[in-house]
Amino acid sequence: MSVDKTIRHVKALATGIKYLVSSKRMTLMYPDEIEEFPDGYRGMIKYNWDTCIKCGLCAMVCPADAMKMYISKEESEEGKKPVRRPGINYARCVFCGFCVAICPTNSLKFTKVHDVVYNTLEEQVYPPEKFREGVPKPQYKKKPKKMRAILDEERGLRYEPVE
Amino acid sequence: MQDLLSFLISLLFRPCIFIPLIFPGLTVIFIMLLMIIWLERKIAAKVQLRYGPLYVFKPLGGVIQTVADLLKDLFQEPIIPKTVDKIAFLLTPIMLFGLAYLPTVVIPVSPTFYAFRSDLSLLLLLTLTTLAPIFTVLMGWASNNKFSLIGGLREGYLVISYEIPMFLSALSMAVLYGSLDLVDIAEAQKGIWGLFLNPVAGISMLVLIYMSTGKFPFEIPEAESEIVAGAYTEYSGIMYGLVMGASYVKLYVLSLVYAILFLGGWNPLPASMMDNPLLPGAMLFAKAFILIAIGVFLRAVYPRFRIDQAMNIGWKMALPFSILAIFISLGIVTITGGM
Repeated sequence: MSVDKTIRHVKALATGIKYLVSSKRMTLMYPDEIEEFPDGYRGMIKYNWDTCIKCGLCAMVCPADAMKMYISKEESEEGKKPVRRPGINYARCVFCGFCVAICPTNSLKFTKVHDVVYNTLEEQVYPPEKFREGVPKPQYKKKPKKMRAILDEERGLRYEPVE
Repeated sequence: MQDLLSFLISLLFRPCIFIPLIFPGLTVIFIMLLMIIWLERKIAAKVQLRYGPLYVFKPLGGVIQTVADLLKDLFQEPIIPKTVDKIAFLLTPIMLFGLAYLPTVVIPVSPTFYAFRSDLSLLLLLTLTTLAPIFTVLMGWASNNKFSLIGGLREGYLVISYEIPMFLSALSMAVLYGSLDLVDIAEAQKGIWGLFLNPVAGISMLVLIYMSTGKFPFEIPEAESEIVAGAYTEYSGIMYGLVMGASYVKLYVLSLVYAILFLGGWNPLPASMMDNPLLPGAMLFAKAFILIAIGVFLRAVYPRFRIDQAMNIGWKMALPFSILAIFISLGIVTITGGM
């Protein structure tokens, strides 16, 4: 065994011990602490029923076939001709944001909600009537602490509480 | 009633029952297993800036997580694949665990408290520890699976490269103290510990202990990222618990031997405390536990060696060093005229 190799072994062990005794941790304790997201975060999408002009561009541009045009029953019966409105399937959505970008009237907008649990695949499909009701509100057992991720040169990722 | 109770307690404290069943036997092994697996995960997490097990009994940092894991393992369905050699497949976990546990009967707890004293107890102990790897190879064969077979063969390769230097390092201490009796060896270290007399043997034996029990960086026979779980691939439920536990038990037994050979055993306790087996036993256990803790700490630091690198360490480094250790022992014996 060369001396150089031995020194490297000792250095590796010393680094391990250094981290073992330091109290640094990167974990975000998720249900108790949640991350505050920056503006422009691509979470679940909310839909404005009134400003939508039913152009169908969002369904056309969707790369994952998540956004589709559904026949809106009530409106179709009123106008005696089929009226189509967008609905979304979160089981397919990749949150790319093409639909939000292409919407000519800004009827589709991103929210910061992303942590919702579904029991079945069918619940993840939002036809227009359900889509207009907005995104579900995340529910936590107790009020979570809001944290912000900070990139630290010394130790990488760090979470700081938001006042 | 009172008589019966005191009789039972005195029976329990008889060496031939206390040693196999309590310390260093089954009870302490069971507690040690639960503790050390938790500690391994916790240490690795701490070094990697994580928390590790936490939510099962939060005030103590998830210390009973391993109990929960054990319960899960107990109630899991043990799956026996159709193509395995059934008798060998079912018997090898039991043989592995049993053979890992068997050497504890030879280990003395204090100069007057032992289940079995022989002039050759060190030799007997080392011999018993070498039987287990045969069953790992057999397990790899019986599982009828390429990963198991490769894992078993790797274990075989490792065994031939660590066994000879480990024996030589251990026996160099027998040369130094002029005895193969573990009680005599520990008693001879009242003044200065074996590690300081013959550090070459001490360091090479420590590395080889970690090699023989598949700790990092020698976790080659069960390399998770290469061959699933090596020879243990086909096992599930409590049988997997047994085969995983066996390597920890082996580490525990070898650490106890190391504590007796190199770290003075129950020394430096004064002779007046030797009557009760609990204090010297606790001393011995503390030393062994520190060695085990170092072994599991290595997981967080090292990557895995290739099989040829590990064999190089066995044959090209550990073997010359252990032969050197014998000559150091011989030199000390010649100069001082025996310890």
